[in-house]
Amino acid sequence: MTYTQEEINLIVLSDIAELTYKARRALLSDLSSASPDFEKCKNFLIKTLSDGVYNKVKASFYDAEYRREVLRLIEENGVKCVTYFSDFYPESLKNTDSPPIVLYCKGDVSLLKSDCFAVVGSRRTLPKALAECKKISGELSEKFTVVSGIAEGADSAALEGALGCGGKVISVLANGLGKVYPAINYNLQQRIAEKGLLISEYPYGYPPKPYYFPERNRIIAGLSRGVLVVSAGIKSGALITAEYAFEYDREVFAFPYSSGVTSGAGCNKLIKTNAHLTENILDIFAEFGLDFNVCDEPLEKAELEFLDALQASDGGFLYDVAQKLGKRVFDILPVASALEIKGLIVKCGGNRYSMVNR
Amino acid sequence: MLSKINSFALVGLEGMPVEVETDINKGMVSYDLVGLPDAAVKESKERVRSAIKNSLLKFPVNKITVNLAPADVRKEGSYYDLPLALSILVASGQLDAQPDFVFLGELALDGALRPVAGILPLLISAKDKGFKKFIVPAGNKNEASYIEGIEVYALQSLREAYDFLSGVSDIPPVPARSYSAGKLKRSYDCDMSLVKGQKIAKRALEIAVAGGHNILLSGPPGTGKTMLARCIPTIMPDMTFEEALEVTKIHSVAGELSDDGIVFLRPFRTPHHTATTVSLCGGGTSKIRAGEISKAHKGVLFLDELPEYQRSALESLRQPLEDRVITVTRSGGAVTFPADFMLCASMNPCPCGNYGSSAKECTCTPAQIQKYRSKISGPLLDRIDLHVEVDGVGYEHLSSDAAEETSAEVKARVERARAIQRERFSDCGITVNANMGERQIKEFCRLSAESQNVLKSAFERLHLSARARSRIIKVARTIADLDFSESILPSHVLEAVSYRSADFK
Repeated sequence: MTYTQEEINLIVLSDIAELTYKARRALLSDLSSASPDFEKCKNFLIKTLSDGVYNKVKASFYDAEYRREVLRLIEENGVKCVTYFSDFYPESLKNTDSPPIVLYCKGDVSLLKSDCFAVVGSRRTLPKALAECKKISGELSEKFTVVSGIAEGADSAALEGALGCGGKVISVLANGLGKVYPAINYNLQQRIAEKGLLISEYPYGYPPKPYYFPERNRIIAGLSRGVLVVSAGIKSGALITAEYAFEYDREVFAFPYSSGVTSGAGCNKLIKTNAHLTENILDIFAEFGLDFNVCDEPLEKAELEFLDALQASDGGFLYDVAQKLGKRVFDILPVASALEIKGLIVKCGGNRYSMVNR
Repeated sequence: MLSKINSFALVGLEGMPVEVETDINKGMVSYDLVGLPDAAVKESKERVRSAIKNSLLKFPVNKITVNLAPADVRKEGSYYDLPLALSILVASGQLDAQPDFVFLGELALDGALRPVAGILPLLISAKDKGFKKFIVPAGNKNEASYIEGIEVYALQSLREAYDFLSGVSDIPPVPARSYSAGKLKRSYDCDMSLVKGQKIAKRALEIAVAGGHNILLSGPPGTGKTMLARCIPTIMPDMTFEEALEVTKIHSVAGELSDDGIVFLRPFRTPHHTATTVSLCGGGTSKIRAGEISKAHKGVLFLDELPEYQRSALESLRQPLEDRVITVTRSGGAVTFPADFMLCASMNPCPCGNYGSSAKECTCTPAQIQKYRSKISGPLLDRIDLHVEVDGVGYEHLSSDAAEETSAEVKARVERARAIQRERFSDCGITVNANMGERQIKEFCRLSAESQNVLKSAFERLHLSARARSRIIKVARTIADLDFSESILPSHVLEAVSYRSADFK
């Protein structure tokens, strides 16, 4: 990829670790110019940096060797940089109040311009909500590019769901490209780089830091036309994403939970304020004026009976369902497996099952 | 004068003939014991001296040399007290030579005979070597009474032995006892009917026992996993006499035999999770001892809290699970112990233990759960065909009066299914479905097109691993056997699919 001189300025500026977002923004005269004005910002910068550091930062910015090194690193690792002034830079992000200066990308950069929809949630998500998250992300991916983080739990379920249906995905990382966090999602991250897009605001190889995560969430909200919160505790990163979405005037959707479920308290709180209660894909598509054709797999009589009994049962215990049907437990085990294979129910542990909303 | 007395030494589970030779000569008064005796055998010198004196017999005041032949094998234990004493009595002319008898037993200082471990395997080996007459301590009487075709005299003391051998008193041999008569009187402490609810787990246990499959129970703490496991021996077919003898051999050598003298009930072993590889598999520096897996031979090895065991200890189970025997090799030699056990393991579903519980919420992240579960290696999970979840039961369930099936009813079904398998595998050298290899799976587990489809979609939709496939087919075969079904129906496959809760990815 070739960059204009303006873009290179931004990339180099973004690479200087000593500078904060605010400092970079001030240097670029509030993102109106591509050439940093060190003299004008000197007083502002010296408040946060010492004299020596200021001089060092300035020197490295103009140092030809340093600039070459920065470009070499991204070139070598196949990273594409989309800067604020690039044609690829998404309008949706540009309109937020703190757009990232450079997006380090790996994968299909054109997805940045597509219609995006974010699906986020907590790491501790109930199996039922995970299955529904997977399903709804697959359905969303028919009309949208699905955007999420890459944490285990809801985020990875959303990405898996969309990828499984051949959809497009963007995963926004809270670390530089070239690092995998959490390590368990190494394979998923590889697949996204091949079939979707990985983006990060942080230079190549930066390890994750706690405060990167909320910062990253503003990009997820900013990119998307809407945000679905699959699960969220009362204090959760997904709620931060939702807050940004409200701030940027995006539609916020949330799964409803019964009271007392820790991993759903945040969702219920969102619904109480302004989010759309979401049971299935139709609730989301209706908001955007989109259609969705539900095509049901044909079910056998025993399977329909099972679903009815499961709905009527309290904890979803299999022995409870069997009792309602007047059958022996192991006679309905095959039905349960068949329904699980069809994706209509999901195991919740302890021989309990939950229905997956259609 | 020279004397020779027959005795036996224990090498692993086999007996090896040992000759106790004593030579008494004129010369400086001494008493030497040669022939690689270990500490316990060396100390027998003092016991023998006191026992002879206290039995009102004479301990010769001469130069005494005792040799334990063959001289290149290490002699261990206290079996040789009695043969040593008798050999001195014969050499000093107080008793005639006794070439027909084999002597075993430990002496007390007052001349009483104390029971020793491992009498049963020693007698069996000696019988195979052609010996017919034995003198053993009275405490080993029960153990000795189950072997047919030999004369065993169980005696109280050295003096009794002396009187008997010199023809002063007449003592009848131990009467033979029948195994089947004794078996009827014994029963297990547990019964299936005492476990309330847990229908799915009980069904899984029935399948596991019917097909000889290993099983993993997972569930929140306090839901009855251990109680369920304890019920497994109660639904296993009764041991045949040959099986009981094999088991008794191991327990006899370990010195863990009860007063019955034979093991009537299938063993149920629960080594603690701090168990080491050696305690599980067997070992030891000089004397090689059987481990827990051999003590669970023909019974159940129950590993509670599976992920808490040392990784290396668990991995060491892989080969015996496959081969059903374990060969323990040490510098002192190699010993093969049988290890044909059924593995039953239990674990919590996650570190906090509440995953799947209806009462408490699980607080673990997916990474924590994955880390916890991945403590058990794939190859070990491969050898556990059924993974079943235990219900997080509510109180109303525990207090229900609903009649539950008894172990005897389940056992009857298990035995029918086992009979079908015995017939099917009559030419294959195996007896249960769990031991089928790939070739036998191909031959005996043909799936109809419909069943194939079910299996295929299960794999695609539930992301099952490739290694889960043959497990599911084997379990489906057992379910079909319990159903008296010649062919494996889709419902059998689907039920088998439901027993795979621990198959993560």
